[in-house]
Amino acid sequence: MTGILTAKSASIDPTTVDPTPTRAAVAADPRRSDRRRGRPRWAIWLTLLVVGAFAFLPVYWLVVTSLTPNADVFAFPPRLFPTTITFEHYADVLANPAILGFLGNSIWVSAITAVLSVVVSMYMGYAFSKFRFRGRASLMYFVLSSQMFPQALLLVTLYVVFAQFGLLNTYQALVISFTTFTLPLCVWMLKGFFDALPDELIEAAKIDGAGHWRTLHSVILPLAAPGLVAAGLFAFVRGWNDFIFALTLAGPEKQTLPPGLVNTYIGEASTAWPELMAASLITSIPVCIAFIALQRFLVGGITAGAVKG
Amino acid sequence: MQLTTAPPKSGRLSELGFITLLLLPGLALLVCVVLYPLLRSLASAFFTESLVFPGVEWAGFQNIADVLADGFGELLLQTLIFTVGATLFPFLIGFALALVLNERFRGSRLLRGVFLIPWLLPGVVVSFLWMWIFDANYGVLNGLLLQSGVLDSPVPWLFQTDTARGALIIAKTWNSFPWIMVMLLAGLQTVPKELHEAAMVDGAGAVRRFLTVTWPHVRGVAGLVLLLEFIWNFQHFDTIFVLTGGGPAGTTATFATEVYDTAFKGFDLGHAGALGLLWMALLMILVVVYVRFSERGEKQNA
Repeated sequence: MTGILTAKSASIDPTTVDPTPTRAAVAADPRRSDRRRGRPRWAIWLTLLVVGAFAFLPVYWLVVTSLTPNADVFAFPPRLFPTTITFEHYADVLANPAILGFLGNSIWVSAITAVLSVVVSMYMGYAFSKFRFRGRASLMYFVLSSQMFPQALLLVTLYVVFAQFGLLNTYQALVISFTTFTLPLCVWMLKGFFDALPDELIEAAKIDGAGHWRTLHSVILPLAAPGLVAAGLFAFVRGWNDFIFALTLAGPEKQTLPPGLVNTYIGEASTAWPELMAASLITSIPVCIAFIALQRFLVGGITAGAVKG
Repeated sequence: MQLTTAPPKSGRLSELGFITLLLLPGLALLVCVVLYPLLRSLASAFFTESLVFPGVEWAGFQNIADVLADGFGELLLQTLIFTVGATLFPFLIGFALALVLNERFRGSRLLRGVFLIPWLLPGVVVSFLWMWIFDANYGVLNGLLLQSGVLDSPVPWLFQTDTARGALIIAKTWNSFPWIMVMLLAGLQTVPKELHEAAMVDGAGAVRRFLTVTWPHVRGVAGLVLLLEFIWNFQHFDTIFVLTGGGPAGTTATFATEVYDTAFKGFDLGHAGALGLLWMALLMILVVVYVRFSERGEKQNA
């Protein structure tokens, strides 16, 4: 990420002039420095208002619906400001054994996915970061590009293969596929962390007589711990959010929350919207917690996964 | 015994062995879960194969011919409409918001985080939420439009051929503009403030400064964001599947939902593979065009 961005910033547009004297000129002119940024304020507030309404009214509606008594939800006109607030929908969701089963599956599958993703991608990331070998660039390219292939297409054959190995309707099917799909980003995140650790650490460990594995496990990995946690959280969220693979590869008993909620609430008859909104918010909580923990690494992780090198 | 030899030569060899061991688990997973399934799906285009009945037969180009003859143009057009709409609108909104949040004002840092909420929510939650907003009988959108007199009777947004596509694009736009905002904000951080000030001293207005100072710095990120969004939307499944399932009357079907339905509802792996082959071919052309384009851009920059 930093590679591409700094490269861009280095190429200065020819239409501009040498910045140093002009900065002085700006500072010298009080009238100008007052409106230094020179942006129309009204445009800023208008954009914030319009985009803010578009972004947050649906979120507001999600929360409000989950707190509205059934009688009010199906009233016309819709009550934008509820007069009565109730937590009965949350209680109903959490008392539903089917939903609790999906919740358990989600936690279990996502946790195992997180652990496995970290283990597999830390070794890969370390190899890509600290060693130069033939085919390194092509392998890195292969890892990155693997996230570009259409999942609906992969799913068709995965279903057939998992069926052959008797893996349909098992946790393994979900964990194996989720782990693979998190690899590109996790490998890139962790490669970034290892890149930041000086090579001298490895040299020093080698001089002290540590082998490759010992150097990695006792010297490097403890220092990369924040990266391992970040990659793990990312993988957890990936497993937690998946819909299409869980829908197809897991049977009714192993299904995670996303397909589970679709099968429970989206029926032919009228949908229990307040309950579904409550269940949706419960489903979103772990993702939000993970995000707050991940915030620091997020932009770097997203951009790194997108840009090679 | 090993200690006495302590050879640099075997050390080199063991380094290669070490690297191989490091890469092996990950590569094995990628080959088994991505590469092999992909190639096998594509290969099944040339066979008659069913998900439920055993037996595989060579079919030559018959599946591809069938798929091309059976509404392929329509499917491609629908996929493109969704992809372009779901790429362009979030890009414009995300870019506008990035420009605004790149300014320093009270709370701009907080807003950068808060605006990510639509992107953070799990895809299925996003689908549920918009399904509820667009609901024909009790949805808040119909409620507000009826109340304010814009509509005379409720509109079944998701079940009507001329509104379903737009509704999907709105839901997807809501979901993905924050990511674009984050990426473009990262790009905007690389614009040196001095350049803006210099241009301002030279009397350049906001639009001119955007074109001559800001745009050259974010062009690379913007191109990348557009390409990635395009590719992702070209393959998008979740929102479409949950909100409309490709309906009404197939108007919102895309490659993703069509491949899924052909394989798992029609049980026809041959035709699903043929669709997938054409789908991948189009995607490859797109990527090649972009790479050429960006290489030319790099040369011009240099």
